[in-house]
Amino acid sequence: MPDVHDWAHCSANLRALSYRFAVCCDDAALGAHISALLSSLRDSDTDAENPHEDAVDAGPVGEPAPHRYTLTASAGRAGAVDVRRDDQLVESALAPGVAVGWLVWDINRLAAELSGQHLLFHSGGLEASGVGILVPAASGSGKSTLTAGLVRAGLGYLSDELVALELDATGSGPGRLLPYPKPITVKPGSFGVLADMAPDVPDGDGDGEWQVPVGDGTGRRVGGACEPGFVIVPRYDPSAETALARLSETEAFFTLALHAVNLLPHGPAGSEALGRLAAHCACYALAFSDLDAACGLVLGLVGARV
Amino acid sequence: MDASWPKADSVPVRREGASGVELDDNIAVYDDVGQLMILLNSSAGAVWNLCDGTRTVGEMITELAETYPDGAAVIREDVRETLRKLAEIGLVSEGSEAL
Repeated sequence: MPDVHDWAHCSANLRALSYRFAVCCDDAALGAHISALLSSLRDSDTDAENPHEDAVDAGPVGEPAPHRYTLTASAGRAGAVDVRRDDQLVESALAPGVAVGWLVWDINRLAAELSGQHLLFHSGGLEASGVGILVPAASGSGKSTLTAGLVRAGLGYLSDELVALELDATGSGPGRLLPYPKPITVKPGSFGVLADMAPDVPDGDGDGEWQVPVGDGTGRRVGGACEPGFVIVPRYDPSAETALARLSETEAFFTLALHAVNLLPHGPAGSEALGRLAAHCACYALAFSDLDAACGLVLGLVGARV
Repeated sequence: MDASWPKADSVPVRREGASGVELDDNIAVYDDVGQLMILLNSSAGAVWNLCDGTRTVGEMITELAETYPDGAAVIREDVRETLRKLAEIGLVSEGSEAL
């Protein structure tokens, strides 16, 4: 493998929950694009000592990220790239946009796999004035679309896919939601209602998804770690009247359990944490056919409480 | 466990690793051994809470009849039926057998 200084571009050290990594490319433009897209995952713990960032003008040498993706020109197909993780070839001859979509998917997968100390939810996550909002739902329920709409409306972004609850060490509080501000993945069905969030450079996994950057310079704020205060369970239904309905503690508990990714390894402590979460948060089902109206309801709800 | 279980002198005990979370008037029981999560209504939850291995079924019935005097007439059979169902799914067993 080439030395780090041979890469046309390397990212800063990045962090997706407990997964720490960097991305290097032999194409400067693609590398810069990926760095910009993933800049919200910049690892502040190791940032100042990162030896990879801007390798062409490498700064002081420090600890590299423990994992590294490399994207190199594919020998088999002009314009395509091969992707390696820790020097192992994992994808070959992908169109650059597809490679970026794959990268986001793989980072998400490993973030879930390596962050098992937290209780993880298949959920969107937002922060409003220091109060956390969980948006748990199955794929296709409008979770990412609602999350994106609320970020557009000014709420802090935690994640559109995987939310980590750091369990309360005393076992008495609801814990804290941790930011994992990956790019927001928007599916084609939501392009129309989120048209103003269209990325300058379209990426995709082959199905034409958008990867929407967040954080500095994007106008989309990243939220901080926060105590959860709300659970909003969205369900997109084009024939539904957009409305919130309060969930009982029991309904909220089972909904959260349904969308918990790693409840089993946490054993009784996990179910007790779910119980505290359901008891602590104001929990609602949100049926929606109109994104702006749905965001208005959530903002009104949150604004009335925080 | 035979079909006549539980008897008045049986001592039901919750399975180790199973835990209950109180929600509204219900209890969600999570069993990490059997990988099971079920919701008990308030009356089943009351029985569950008493299955700590220190009481006989007779004592459970007496205690619940004192707490819910209006339901005293049906409590005996309700308790036995609830215990049978909890035992069927492995959430409680006879305490003396567990020792």
